[in-house]
Amino acid sequence: MPAAAMAFHGVTKRFGDFTAVDNLSFSIPEGSIFGFLGGNGAGKTTSLRMALDILSPTSGSIEVLGVAPSRENAAEIGFLPEERGLYKKMSVLDTIVYFARLKQMEPAAAKAAAMALLERLDMADRAKSPIEKLSKGLAQKVQVATALVNSPKLLMLDEPFSGLDPVNQAMLEELIADAAKGGATVIFSTHVMQHAERLCDSLLMLAKGTKRFDGTQEEARAALPSRLTLTAKADPAALTGVTKARAQGDPADGWQSYAVELQAGMPPEALLEHCTTTGFALRSFDVQTPSLHEVFIHFVGAEPEMAQ
Amino acid sequence: MRNILLVATREIRQVIATKGFWIMLAAVPIALAISGFASKQLAPEDTTAYTVIDESGRFDDVIEARVDFSYQQQMLRDLAEYVEKWDLETAAGDAPWANRQAWLNPAEVQRFIDMGGAEAAVEALEPDLADNVPPHDVEDPFYVRVPLPDGVEIPASGTELSASLLAAFEDDISFEDRRLPYGAVLHIPANFGEPGAEARIFSNGRSNTSLIRHFRDLLDETVRSDAFTSQGIDPSMAAGIGAMQAPVSVIEPPPGGGRNLTFTRSLVPIGLVYLLLITAVTTGSLMLQGVVEERSNKLVESVLACVKPDTLMQGKLLGLGAVGLVIVLTWAGTAAIAALYFEGFAAEILRPSLEELQDPLLITAMIIYFLGGYIVLAMLFLAIGAISESMQDAQSYLTPVIFLIMIPVLVVMQAALKGPNEPVAVILSWIPLYTPFAMLARMGSGVATWEIIGTIALLAAFIWLELKLLGNLFRASLLNDGKPTWKRIVSWVKSPTAGR
Repeated sequence: MPAAAMAFHGVTKRFGDFTAVDNLSFSIPEGSIFGFLGGNGAGKTTSLRMALDILSPTSGSIEVLGVAPSRENAAEIGFLPEERGLYKKMSVLDTIVYFARLKQMEPAAAKAAAMALLERLDMADRAKSPIEKLSKGLAQKVQVATALVNSPKLLMLDEPFSGLDPVNQAMLEELIADAAKGGATVIFSTHVMQHAERLCDSLLMLAKGTKRFDGTQEEARAALPSRLTLTAKADPAALTGVTKARAQGDPADGWQSYAVELQAGMPPEALLEHCTTTGFALRSFDVQTPSLHEVFIHFVGAEPEMAQ
Repeated sequence: MRNILLVATREIRQVIATKGFWIMLAAVPIALAISGFASKQLAPEDTTAYTVIDESGRFDDVIEARVDFSYQQQMLRDLAEYVEKWDLETAAGDAPWANRQAWLNPAEVQRFIDMGGAEAAVEALEPDLADNVPPHDVEDPFYVRVPLPDGVEIPASGTELSASLLAAFEDDISFEDRRLPYGAVLHIPANFGEPGAEARIFSNGRSNTSLIRHFRDLLDETVRSDAFTSQGIDPSMAAGIGAMQAPVSVIEPPPGGGRNLTFTRSLVPIGLVYLLLITAVTTGSLMLQGVVEERSNKLVESVLACVKPDTLMQGKLLGLGAVGLVIVLTWAGTAAIAALYFEGFAAEILRPSLEELQDPLLITAMIIYFLGGYIVLAMLFLAIGAISESMQDAQSYLTPVIFLIMIPVLVVMQAALKGPNEPVAVILSWIPLYTPFAMLARMGSGVATWEIIGTIALLAAFIWLELKLLGNLFRASLLNDGKPTWKRIVSWVKSPTAGR
């Protein structure tokens, strides 16, 4: 089993009477892309702040890159906060170099890495521009660059796609995938399931500070009852493992289309096998993989935007 | 430490990139240059021309001598002060300028005139001047007698100004290749002294009071002397009586001493109080602005992922402290240069004050008070920045704080000028928020060593506590959204883990 880039052990965080994170435990393998999924107030940002030592847990313990959270390993971490901002009067290059220097990089290396990133972000010509002269999208790119400049082992991105246009969202997805290919562990929080679906190896679903799911995308989907559409002569409702079967449209030549839901944990292949062995006539058998959005609603019980 | 320096450097770069910083930096040098220029411009170096038309023939010679006597008397006084200031009495020997009281004695003034007056005296002293002693600057004569300018006529009688005379008064006149303001014309009729005969003084109406007084005195003395003579008193005896002086000796401390001593010695420390106030408020405001920017721009979280809040706070204090120091050193440096190397208003005021402050203990204490005062105020600004959402928000906290600082400080400066032990100044010296100001203000007039040590110890303890408590507030409030209630602020201040 690979070493954990980050691990929470029974972590609780309270602000007065309010419990932001409740007895949270999970482990993120090194080199993976890990999604923190949850709506507003689910505890994503609080968890990331605890991992960065900006906040301290009320109880429980956290390991980041094998040690307790501290600024000591800031050099190995890249962080993009949800609420973003930069020093307006500073130039693009100076901004990236400043954060690189705060992460212990030497001046020459910091400048070289910053310029290389700006080339990659297609912003090299704006290196000397003050931040206040940039569009919001470009400023966001600079902020992403401040998180990536030190080639971090662990990249933490809090709602990284918010505020970006589709083109820049795609670019950021590429950067995240590249960072992971380069061996970095990427953790990002989001309430937009499509990004997580495309990028994440593993997921943590949070609601009201508690863990609702922790595992791979496949495991998450497997937890939902399988749904399929089949065309049969007879009603499949009575078949073993079928919990629901609803006729769709009108029958044609005696064949009727049905939307079928299986018992949780029963794979669709088992139903197909059962139909074959019992001679249940089938003309089509289409399995519908549940989307992450559906998985989320299943675990959290609300739309991601609404989940509190 | 590395990150503290990085934060400090960023703060410095941000400040020096603003126009305001350079304007502020240049403010004092420009003000000093203006004061030097203005004192040159405003100095009464223009000699004023006057004319005497003496139809009686009795005053032609004496008037000029009288006006010159008054000028030389003033020159003798200035010269004697210069001799005393630079310890040149030995070089002066028994010359009138060796004695600072000589100007009071007409005989001594006359001796001074007979010896060639101010110019000759300066020449006589010159070979004995040490390298660090500037030569004495002799002012131009206040008045010079000129013939009635061409084209100018005075009315034969009456008290109206003729048009030509009015024009001459309004413009300068030419005399020996110089342009001089034309001050007055004295007309003495041939029958002056007889009943009904009246001398007339035509004046341009501007600052010629001493000239007119000389004219009047001379004419008064003549009329009195004539009266004595008509009563059978011998003219020489009458003149003697007229010239009699009561034996009066004026006793005063040396220049910069006595009542002036407190004022003179307090100038630099009180200047430092102003400097402290201005730099602390300016750099404090910059710091406040920076923290508000970091909070309202939501960039503080990115920074806090790399550095601890304490590092951020210390970096800011250090960076803006350095900016403040650059401003202070530039101002103090230019003022010192102006005082030591140039003449003018600033030099006149600062030079004796700097000479009084040579004690290393005083200098060390002044530096400690200055730095301590900066930290005390800067921390307040920093804490206000940390609990404010916007500059408008900060203003509501800032206004009462500024009043709380300014009013007692202004009071203490006034009090300290009266003497070092004014009760207000003494009490405020022991309230740490005001210690740096009160003690700096009192420094010049002499404060007991135990008081210096005691207040510094108390100030150090207060700064430790302030850094601890306001540090708690700074840490706790950085990531807090919205305007906190007073109850929350108090709970943050009290808890070192608040907000964590």
